[in-house]
Amino acid sequence: MNNRYFLEVDYYHEYKYRQLVGGDVFLSRKIKEENRVISVLSDGLGSGVKANVLSTLTSTMASTFISNYIDITRTAEIIMKTLPVCKERKISYSTFSIVDIDEHGDTRIIEYDNPPYLLLRKAQVVDIDKSTRKVEGSSQKKVDVQYSRFQTEKGDRIVLLSDGVSQSGMGMAGTPFGWGMDDVARFAVSLIEQNNDISARELARKIVQRALANDAYRSKDDITCGVIYFRNPRNLLIMSGPPIDKAKDIELAHMVDSFSGQKVICGGTTANIVARELDRKLKVDLSYIDPDIPPPSLMDGVDLVTEGIITLCEASEILKSGDVNRLPERGNAAQRIVHMMLNNDSIQFVVGTKINDVHQDPNMPVELEIRRNIVKKIVKILEEKYLKETKLQFI
Amino acid sequence: MAQSVSVKICTGTACYVMGGANLLMLEECLPEHLKGRIEIEGTSCMGYCSLGEKGKAPFVMINDQLISEATLEKITEKIKTMLE
Repeated sequence: MNNRYFLEVDYYHEYKYRQLVGGDVFLSRKIKEENRVISVLSDGLGSGVKANVLSTLTSTMASTFISNYIDITRTAEIIMKTLPVCKERKISYSTFSIVDIDEHGDTRIIEYDNPPYLLLRKAQVVDIDKSTRKVEGSSQKKVDVQYSRFQTEKGDRIVLLSDGVSQSGMGMAGTPFGWGMDDVARFAVSLIEQNNDISARELARKIVQRALANDAYRSKDDITCGVIYFRNPRNLLIMSGPPIDKAKDIELAHMVDSFSGQKVICGGTTANIVARELDRKLKVDLSYIDPDIPPPSLMDGVDLVTEGIITLCEASEILKSGDVNRLPERGNAAQRIVHMMLNNDSIQFVVGTKINDVHQDPNMPVELEIRRNIVKKIVKILEEKYLKETKLQFI
Repeated sequence: MAQSVSVKICTGTACYVMGGANLLMLEECLPEHLKGRIEIEGTSCMGYCSLGEKGKAPFVMINDQLISEATLEKITEKIKTMLE
């Protein structure tokens, strides 16, 4: 995001038992020009489709209004007046927590009826003063909205939860009144104590899974946790394709060698070039065979070596589908690349522009995209959907 | 007659989509008495696909003999003639 720190935003959710749609929505938006990130967690009344409509409307409106600097009280008012009224309960209702962070770490949070957010600093919970604002609700009734503003520091984590987390396990012998915010906070702190660098994704996932376990794996409500983590950026280099000019092979190899961060090479020819120039061994890893995705290879000093275009196309499809939370960690090469992309913040692509004529042979049973185009697609999805910082360089 | 053979299966893009993916199952198709004498390896693109005169993908290298448009049958046949 900027040189001072990077904002990692991610979430994890489980729907209410046997529901196919959730009433919780976690939405994040990055405004690149302003280096601002806005995240919203909303929980709609009820569960299923009806609740999903309410919370999707709420989170979309909230993030749009706040990103355009519309006053928070006004935003809350408009949302409450816009939401459709439930036929049975005669109210329109959806909770929200809105987090707005600018490039200097100036953070504003507005909460309405969600469990209070947690600010975790150096594995401790930090208490923040909140002021209450009155907002006109749907039935002319004033409702209370909590407002807080503070300066974040490097290493801070903001945890947003739906009540499916704090109330998980309610009625069970061990947790008659539900898990409770104090215990949720203690659990989050213990996770950070165990692993100081735990990613936003992993922290959110572990909290949600614990809540699900509290409910004996039959969630009584949608369970959602979103985490915003301020930290040093993690860098990933993805190199794909031979340079158009053979004289640049050595340059390509040195880029791999000197990069600080994780490294991926996509493409057999590219991997061969790097192996030759750096005098390294390249070995195909046949421990996991997938009929659609060619197996990865192993090379010293490179975290992952894969085939090129098929793997990248599949990675692009996975990213586009958004179905990334349940990916196996040691799956096929495309799934591994997606994992690495999600676990890093700043992703640099170096793309060789030499076109492989064989791929353009009309006898090929599948249509192979041109590398440049597929990488451009991936870059766009990573920026817009996953809020990653990317660089794209052609060689 | 060779004592053992090394089989290198290309896992490059062209070979993989032209049927190379199936070839990685080679070990399961081999007759029991030959299994111990065959070393199967994957390899990244060997570059034959772009040469033209070497035939068509998928390519497999058995010891120093190149097989183009390789199938499990072709590979097994070749191995048998080398080992038996």
